[in-house]
Amino acid sequence: MSNSIVYRDVSMTFGRGASAVQALSATNFGIGDQEFLMIVGPSGCGKSTLLHITAGLLRPSTGEVLLDGKPVTGPGPDKALVFQNFSLFPWKTVWDNIEFGLRINGVDRADRSERVAKYIRLTGLAGFERHYPRQLSGGMQQRVALARSFVMRPRVLLMDEPFAALDAQNRTLMQEELVRIWSEQRAAVLFITHAVEEAVYLADRVIVMSRRPGTIKEVIDVNAATGPGHWRDRPLNDVASEPRFQELRHRVWDSVRSEITTHEDA
Amino acid sequence: MTATKILRLVVPCTALVLFALAWWAATDALRLVSPFVLPSPGDVLGGLARVSRGYMGSTLLDHLIASMSVMLSGFALALVIGIPLGVAMAWFPLVDRLFGPLVAVLRPIPPPAWIPLAILWFGIGLSGRTFIVFVAALVPVLVNSYVGVREVPQNVIAAARTLGANQRVLLTEVVLPAAAPVIFTGMRISVGVAWATIVAAELVVAERGFGFLIMSGYRNFEAEIMAGGMLIIAAIGALMNVAFLLVERRVLRWNAGDSRDV
Ligand SMILES: Nc1ncnc2c1ncn2[C@@H]1O[C@H](COP(=O)(O)OP(=O)(O)OP(=O)(O)O)[C@@H](O)[C@H]1O
Ligand SMILES: [Mg+2]
Repeated sequence: MSNSIVYRDVSMTFGRGASAVQALSATNFGIGDQEFLMIVGPSGCGKSTLLHITAGLLRPSTGEVLLDGKPVTGPGPDKALVFQNFSLFPWKTVWDNIEFGLRINGVDRADRSERVAKYIRLTGLAGFERHYPRQLSGGMQQRVALARSFVMRPRVLLMDEPFAALDAQNRTLMQEELVRIWSEQRAAVLFITHAVEEAVYLADRVIVMSRRPGTIKEVIDVNAATGPGHWRDRPLNDVASEPRFQELRHRVWDSVRSEITTHEDA
Repeated sequence: MTATKILRLVVPCTALVLFALAWWAATDALRLVSPFVLPSPGDVLGGLARVSRGYMGSTLLDHLIASMSVMLSGFALALVIGIPLGVAMAWFPLVDRLFGPLVAVLRPIPPPAWIPLAILWFGIGLSGRTFIVFVAALVPVLVNSYVGVREVPQNVIAAARTLGANQRVLLTEVVLPAAAPVIFTGMRISVGVAWATIVAAELVVAERGFGFLIMSGYRNFEAEIMAGGMLIIAAIGALMNVAFLLVERRVLRWNAGDSRDV
């Protein structure tokens, strides 16, 4: 599997002098072409920073990010980003939110309508086209955010705890929906979560980051454990009780916890 | 209609009626205060009638046109300059550094303090009064435009950038609509300030207008003209505020408080 994203010595320091905060220490890594990569790690270890650098919203202090061999120099629709919440355009309807990226990139009207309609259907938003974000539940709003990203057919889908604000049932529904859409429209996914179960359920590989200044501490290959027929292709309820799933979940959790506890000792 | 809704309507109305009754009792019925100090409701109505037939050579419409035209031109000027300047200061650091200190120095000056300077610069005609209104109305609309743009959530801007928005699209299609509710509030405050300021300016220099009307009542010892003029000023001010709220609610439908069923 060829790499679509490559990190070369990427590090990030905010501020200067005495108030400088190093958020990320030199990180080298590659993400597969259509890989589903989950990132877990203690709070403040630089996960969001890494995601924003990948999106081109932040310039790293050192190193570079390559997307299909070309350095990332700024944000763009090939690198879609889904936030935890509050990133929809509240003055636009559901339809106009999803259409926005296509419109400003000069996609013609007929093509736009067709694509927006398709993703509204895929994300189960039919009937809510003319609603404003305020009129939707948190889960529905995240569906709109997903549709708004997927409609751009990005090479990379960057997700920063997108389901963290949802209740358990909605979270599970959204995970299944994400997998369904993603299986139709493969892209590299970089997904940050605090929920270890979510990480193990969705990932091809789970990356555990060390405490701040974070870097990649451990890479856990979930595919090797599941064999053919990935866990994410079945309902979470069915796989959650499998011994291998639980074993992996423990392993990831222990790895994260050791970072948090050493942090407290320090 | 729920009980709370009825209460919300009945209590203020009752209070208003009681207040009017007390006024009537103190002046007409019991004659507790002299009509030179506080005219009775009947006197004020009489005063209003006199004004509407024409007072000091101007009809009510003349006064209205005199006050409104100055207010609206000063307000319009404040919008044309205040909104672009506030937005530009918030969006371009260089513009902020250029104009920020000037705004910080001029902002605390109360609008009426500009009246003498305005007369010196522009005379006592239309342009002098327009300038005073402009200076007064500029501040809220400028400050709110600035704050509105500054408070656009970073997530929203970042989301637009990752979708491919360039600077122009970002400003016109994302930042401005996102800041619109705060800018609108600034405009509404500005209208109120402009109205208060034009009346103050007319107290000092004018040959018609509502400020002039009140001042004439004062000079001629006609308390009912003063009180009548004040009532008209209050009514027009309240009407403009309501009109603004209605426009705001229409234009910013997406921002309506509890709107699950628009
Ligand atoms: N713009 C910024 N300026 C200064 N410091 C920043 C900035 N953004 C992040 N940081 C700091 O960098 C560190 C890493 O932040 P980051 O948001 O990447 O962590 P995170 O792993 O996403 O944490 P969480 O799990 O809580 O979301 C933190 O200490 C944070 O305070
Ligand atoms: Mg984060």
